[in-house]
Amino acid sequence: MSVTSCSDPIDAAVLADYWRAALPSAEEEAVELHLLECDRCGDRLRETMALAEALRRLAREGNLRMVVSDAFLERAAADGVRVREYTVPPGGSVQCTVTADDDLLIGRLVADLSEAGRVDLCFCDARGVEQGRLPDIPHNPTSDSVVFQESITAMKAAPTFTMIARLVGVDEAGGERVLGEYTFNHSRSLPGPAGW
Amino acid sequence: MDVELTDADLVRQIGAERDSNAEAELFRRMAPRLRLYGLRHLRDPHAAEDLAQQVLITTLEALRAGRLREPEKLASFMLGTCRMTVLELRRGAHRRERLLAQFGADLLPASSSGPRVDHDQLLRCVRNLKERERTVVVMTFYDEQAGAEVARFLGISEANVRVIRHRAIRELRACMGVAA
Repeated sequence: MSVTSCSDPIDAAVLADYWRAALPSAEEEAVELHLLECDRCGDRLRETMALAEALRRLAREGNLRMVVSDAFLERAAADGVRVREYTVPPGGSVQCTVTADDDLLIGRLVADLSEAGRVDLCFCDARGVEQGRLPDIPHNPTSDSVVFQESITAMKAAPTFTMIARLVGVDEAGGERVLGEYTFNHSRSLPGPAGW
Repeated sequence: MDVELTDADLVRQIGAERDSNAEAELFRRMAPRLRLYGLRHLRDPHAAEDLAQQVLITTLEALRAGRLREPEKLASFMLGTCRMTVLELRRGAHRRERLLAQFGADLLPASSSGPRVDHDQLLRCVRNLKERERTVVVMTFYDEQAGAEVARFLGISEANVRVIRHRAIRELRACMGVAA
């Protein structure tokens, strides 16, 4: 095999699985033999390793608004990440804030997901008018809640305000059914402007 | 040294002629590949460097002695040597000091930096992923969860998790401007 070209490059996603030690042993051996002969794929593996490390840092920063798992929270806590979590029942509300010491901000939305197919997570203003939506969020029908991470940076900069989170079930015809509404009354605890 | 020489060509030149240029080229060529293997299995750059040096030295000894009868099988030979060396390093029973004293002058220092990732661009790219893709990527690379655990959380099959993860990685690479 040539040093500078590769006629059969390994898919980057397979390289990512290799780096995670997630390949079956026969496939891993084939990848390793290839990597011992091919610098192009070695470079691609280095890119994949750098991407994996950058993703790890990004997740740890808490700036992504996204659905997470309990395992994610356990791992974060084990890493020394300070997690502020609020659990809200359907129709419930909570007084919440975020301090300079917090690293992750978590909302646990209790809901019956057993009959839900596609579920969207909507973010609404205090009047209930939708401002944004995470469509088709990952969820497990056997779980009793959806755990979402709010951007810690955005909330540290946010003024005192009310946000309503709404879980919506969406059927195949596009019809929507509210699974739960959850009111977060955020109080600013860090200095900053009074409004957005 | 002609960079078009194949690995097998280098093996032949070392075995037949004790060609010092070929030996140097073999070290230059193989050291980064071996460090990658070491990083994958030992997860530590210093240990990976140890592995690379030991495997290179063992390989050179074998090539000089003509013990590799099929030059085209250099990669197989080195992979086997890598595996044995990882076991040795894990047992703490390595020969590093003696071998370094013998061959140290031929060993190249490790490259200090890998590819850089634009953090802000990555944040934009991750935000552009679909929700399931974003969750799978974070669970995979931050939680380091196995496919089965991710599948359980999402209530889907392991095969589906793999499909979602692979699609997300390709999209991220494309968004970051690196070849898929």
